[in-house]
Amino acid sequence: MTIAEAVVLVTGRRTWRDFAVLGGALILIAFPLIAQAFGYSFLVSIGGRMLIYALAASSLNLALGYGGMVSLGHAAFLGLGGYTAAILTFHHFDDSLLFGFIPGTNNALIVVMASMLVAALFAAATGALALRTSGVHFLMITLAFGQMIYYLFVALKSYGGDDGLRLRRANEFLGVSLRDDVTLYYVCLAVLFAYFVLAGRFINSRFGFVVRGSRESERRMAHFGYRTFCYKLVCYTIAGSVAGLAGALLANHERFVSPDLMHWTKSSELLVMVVLGGIATRYGALIGAIVLIGMESLLSSITDHWMFVLGPLLVAIVLFNRRGLAGRE
Amino acid sequence: MPNAILEIDNVVKRFGGVAATDGVTLHIAEGQVHGLIGPNGAGKTTLIAQLSGEQRQDSGRIRFAGEDISALSVAERVHRGLARSFQITELLPSMTVEDNIALAIQARSGHSYRFWRDARIEPRVRDPARALLEEVMLNHRASTRAADLSHGEQRQLELAMALGTAPRMLLLDEPMAGMGMEESQKMLRLLQRFKGKITMLLVEHDMNTVFSLSDRISVLVYGRLVASGSPEDIRNSAPVREAYLGNGDA
Repeated sequence: MTIAEAVVLVTGRRTWRDFAVLGGALILIAFPLIAQAFGYSFLVSIGGRMLIYALAASSLNLALGYGGMVSLGHAAFLGLGGYTAAILTFHHFDDSLLFGFIPGTNNALIVVMASMLVAALFAAATGALALRTSGVHFLMITLAFGQMIYYLFVALKSYGGDDGLRLRRANEFLGVSLRDDVTLYYVCLAVLFAYFVLAGRFINSRFGFVVRGSRESERRMAHFGYRTFCYKLVCYTIAGSVAGLAGALLANHERFVSPDLMHWTKSSELLVMVVLGGIATRYGALIGAIVLIGMESLLSSITDHWMFVLGPLLVAIVLFNRRGLAGRE
Repeated sequence: MPNAILEIDNVVKRFGGVAATDGVTLHIAEGQVHGLIGPNGAGKTTLIAQLSGEQRQDSGRIRFAGEDISALSVAERVHRGLARSFQITELLPSMTVEDNIALAIQARSGHSYRFWRDARIEPRVRDPARALLEEVMLNHRASTRAADLSHGEQRQLELAMALGTAPRMLLLDEPMAGMGMEESQKMLRLLQRFKGKITMLLVEHDMNTVFSLSDRISVLVYGRLVASGSPEDIRNSAPVREAYLGNGDA
């Protein structure tokens, strides 16, 4: 036991925090049942979207919060994952081949893996270039790559172009369809839970330490003998593939994808979730996603000018709680 | 020179029209402390940057332990045992003191593409880290964030981080920078403890430190070595007194 842990044990902060996490987990598990019991079934769908965006924002937090790579192109991974799912599904029902040799599929597991792979490849390729820079330059290059992909899909008429692409049916796995809101909600929750467990290990692993060290001082890390570029690239690629996974889930959730998923404003939405919840905190992105999507849904049901209200609210939250809603970890 | 661990041969670095190092040739014997003094802007820090691989020299050659390292990256030079400390402290500020050291040790004990095992309790990294903290008298601060240390303690940590890479040779860029009397004394005792075990190139403005610690001293003025010799020689060298020590009170 380190001294830090002992201090935390004595002051009881840790038990308080564990209690909050446990309570939050229970609420998330019970949420669909409660919503249905009170006749608000549509809330389950919103809940599912919150979890998916929580996953996407958490993956951004991995690169941004822990790796210090502030990107404005993260939505490209989300969109690529989503389109991979939608296109594979399209070819499955169309009985045609992608690029003339890849058959489509409706198997959720294969679709998800393909989405992660495509997003990871794109992240590795663009990251290898973008990570030669840092700071604002890195931000601009990721933004440019993201917009490039956005315009590519706008121009891709065979997959709907501007109008987007509808999934004829949701993907299935072992006879279970992701069509049902409750099923999808629990799948997303399970995925998010698994992600939190893995990310929790990742952060404190050797690799996690090197990535965090690179955020603190790349110069120092080089003088320890680390090739920081490689570690950051691997981290960026992992973050991209997780966002791709979120994209595949989102495609199933909406049963629709469009280039808007890749637009830089979507990236900034993810960024807002991370900052709102707390940069480099374990559950911050989840809280940020719940609060942002929750407020969006609530306010837009009250007024058409909901952005007018939401904007100042966000500014107030960030101003008065700089560490984010998750507080200090 | 026999057993020279570092051989700098005719190294030149120009920034525009200004030569920061102007044909520097210097051989440093293994196990020695070699002091490098000179007025501000003499090119001492530039020389260290070239030796550590942060800056590439325009011409000339650097050999370390018999190997030409002129074209190697910073990380590659560190792996060969050439480490440096910074004049302006370069820590990992929001990590704990122990983590700062542990990362130095982790870099040389196995690869770091491990994603699952908890590195905070890995004995082969943490045990040497704690031992090193004890050596530099920072063990009572192990779980303090590096940013929260006093200036003197940060300088101690800076030194410990360079030592953590297990160097054969240390390039020390003003280890006493910004320190008070007491802190300087502490740092001097620390350096004395490593003298003889690790070869050092010591850039320092504090003349007491340089003259009491160094086996040999070189004087750099406007990118050129104007003198090189034992502390006694340097103290008595007329051109040095004129160019640098300012006649008399060294």
